[in-house]
Amino acid sequence: MEYILKNGIVYDPANGINGEKMDIMIKDDIIVDSVSSNAQVIDVTDKVVMPSGVDPHAHVAGPKLVVGRLYRPEDSRRGVTQKTNVLRSESGFSIPSCPATGYRYSRLGYGTVVEAAMPPLEAKHTHEEIATIPNIDVPALSLFGNNWFVMEYAKEKNVDDLAAFISTWLKLSKGYGVKIVNPCGSEAWGWGMNVHGVNDKAPYFDVTSKEVIQALAKANEKLGLPHSIHIHPNDLGHPGNTPTTLETFDAVKNIKKSAKASVRDQVMHICHLQFHAYGGNSWKDADSGAKEITDYINKNDHVTCDIGQVTLDETTTMTADAPMEYDLFKLSGLKWANKDIECETAAGIIPCIYAPKAPVSSLQWAIGLELFLRIEDLWKVCLTTDHPNAGPFIRYPRIMSWLMSSDRRQEMMDNEVHKWAHKRTGLPELDRCYDFYDIATISRAAPAKIHGFADRGALTPGYKADIAVYDINPNDIDPNRESAAIEEGFNVALYTIKDGQILVKDKEIVKVKESQNIWVNVKGYENEEQAVVDKIMPFFNQYYSVKWENYPVHDHYVSNPIRIDIER
Amino acid sequence: MKTITFDQIKTSSIALEFDEVIPDNIYTWTEQDFAKYEVPIGNSRFPITDYFDITVEGEAEGPGDVKMVLNGDLNRVKYIGCAMTNGEIICNGNVDLHVGAEMSGGHIKVYGNAAAHAGREMSGGILEITGNTKEFTGASYIGEWRGMTGGEIIVYGNAGKQCGECLTGGKIRVKGDCDILAGIHMTKGLIEIDGNVNRWPGGQMKNGNIVIHGKLGRLLEGFVFEGVVVDPTVEGEDFKGKFIKYTGDIGLNGKGSLYLGAETNREKLSEYGEIDDEYTSIREYRNL
Repeated sequence: MEYILKNGIVYDPANGINGEKMDIMIKDDIIVDSVSSNAQVIDVTDKVVMPSGVDPHAHVAGPKLVVGRLYRPEDSRRGVTQKTNVLRSESGFSIPSCPATGYRYSRLGYGTVVEAAMPPLEAKHTHEEIATIPNIDVPALSLFGNNWFVMEYAKEKNVDDLAAFISTWLKLSKGYGVKIVNPCGSEAWGWGMNVHGVNDKAPYFDVTSKEVIQALAKANEKLGLPHSIHIHPNDLGHPGNTPTTLETFDAVKNIKKSAKASVRDQVMHICHLQFHAYGGNSWKDADSGAKEITDYINKNDHVTCDIGQVTLDETTTMTADAPMEYDLFKLSGLKWANKDIECETAAGIIPCIYAPKAPVSSLQWAIGLELFLRIEDLWKVCLTTDHPNAGPFIRYPRIMSWLMSSDRRQEMMDNEVHKWAHKRTGLPELDRCYDFYDIATISRAAPAKIHGFADRGALTPGYKADIAVYDINPNDIDPNRESAAIEEGFNVALYTIKDGQILVKDKEIVKVKESQNIWVNVKGYENEEQAVVDKIMPFFNQYYSVKWENYPVHDHYVSNPIRIDIER
Repeated sequence: MKTITFDQIKTSSIALEFDEVIPDNIYTWTEQDFAKYEVPIGNSRFPITDYFDITVEGEAEGPGDVKMVLNGDLNRVKYIGCAMTNGEIICNGNVDLHVGAEMSGGHIKVYGNAAAHAGREMSGGILEITGNTKEFTGASYIGEWRGMTGGEIIVYGNAGKQCGECLTGGKIRVKGDCDILAGIHMTKGLIEIDGNVNRWPGGQMKNGNIVIHGKLGRLLEGFVFEGVVVDPTVEGEDFKGKFIKYTGDIGLNGKGSLYLGAETNREKLSEYGEIDDEYTSIREYRNL
């Protein structure tokens, strides 16, 4: 099938196209330079055309989602819709059902969503769930930061075996990259403890968080994985955590990026940075650490980030940072779920109400926006809410409208949020307004580049035909004054095209397609991998409650994969 | 005033869902409109006139002018009056789940029994049930920690388990007996029970008031004896007589108040000292 998207106003930062009126051509599942005269013309005159969105960090599949849905039926009753001829019924607000997750991303014009935390032991379940999320491609990052084997390798500074271990475990779990969550801290939680700062040691392992981060970063670059290490640092959500964040950045400053990873520039991606940018000593005197953090990012190229913008909603937090969830439980008193993943990680879940008039929520809201607005090179920052932790992903259009309108931000600080937002952050002094090109950068181009995707996030001929068209005429709107119209325009795409198939047409989902998992297959380390497996097998048999034969994600769990082969 | 009468002609094994058939939505409807309307049953819809003969009399300018009268076996009709803001609904028969759930105004009167979740999360209005209710009267939705926030529920019969669970405001009055865990997790509001209570009222309550006139079976350990009070005023209401007052649930640093009729629960006082007719020894115990 061939299509021409005609006369759209195109924003494609990867190709430097900034609001040019032009045609985009599609043949089958890719973007092309030209099509035949039989191509179907889709008139998108004066509509915003962008590559489909890429969400670099969200929690959309896996066991903690299921626990969240089970223990928050009150969330599942929100957003209920009846089935139609095309769609299954939907339910849920902060933790939508699997079909609803796919549909809602499609309506937003997104095509790829990275599941940010997959415990290898629970990878089978994660992939089964991914298979039930339609319309989007979902790579999943495997958790390594508290893995017992990884901590042993890090203590021994044995990067070679660690690289082989990662290579093996990515194959076993069908993972896309290396995720680190509160390194050593989630393991410490097994003993009712946490680590504070990068120099704290995991109990009984005699290894620090910094050593684990450095070892994983070195191994990641040794393998040349498409994505860098993807880290949720220590001390998430704690007042005064800015120094920890800066030390985490510095920990990998001297590690050289692999030449094989040609798409990305960074050696570390730090996720939901907003939760790691607090000053002060307690919530009584907490303030913004955004300036220090962004000064660092602006001066260094080895770090990228996503924000985890608070959306001021009632949501569900879920993370492998189980001790942090316990802290949150002690603060809020709301119901709390906790889970240990043997030998690998942990997880905690708790509802969270980011009330606009609550001091802490307002502070978090303002710090997130401050980070967005202080980072000079937008290729280093991505739009996320750390869905669902800081809010559901369906609020992305609202965040876009905040970023594009200093008037709206001021109005909120004056009337809608607590005074901490303007008294304890630098947000009031920032009048920067994003434009459509900037929005396309943080929601498409930058996340694709950071994750090392060489086939999406741009409208380059040969790339996947993943395209979003929005019912917004950029020549006829002042985003600073019309933030509500911006939010409405981005809320539902006029067209969402995925792999050359029109999934959303005239703001309605007209087609549902099977999702695809993207995983990384490192080749050339077979001997080292076998040696590592032989070495750890006695330990595995002793401490895991599953048999080795049942541990891997077998092919039939991943029905429609995209395998990225990495040569040694 | 517009009176809309629903006379049942057929029952369904799967419950009819009546949350769309509330005064707010139907005050302009004629009999022809009802003839076109399909009511949700399971995952499908069927003509409401297959199940009810509907007659409409009079005119209404708003939902407050509507009186709905439902006659028949309503055991498989749920969500009656759900989310209504005004108007009146009379049910002449037993009703299914969620009667009056999320209502914020108006008046529902059920001449019969109600299934579980009667008055769930209601925030205003009055719900009267002449018979018994099952579990979760005036409670929260499953998993939710905020239950009924306003309005009044009066149960003339007995109430089932976890009546007033997560009560966050409003008043629940049970004229008969109440099953276990009345007022569990409540944070505000009043539950008044005229009859006997099986066990454990106020479990994990953080605040609010429970008044029990009848006999209490077992009290949870998290309630601290405060003394005997006479003619207390609770939530702005005066209660006549002597009541044993407890505070709890201390397991959650709760500051809720539990009042037990002292005469009917006299044996509860024995562990605090010797009792005389005026309970003076108990006062002495408190003074110590």
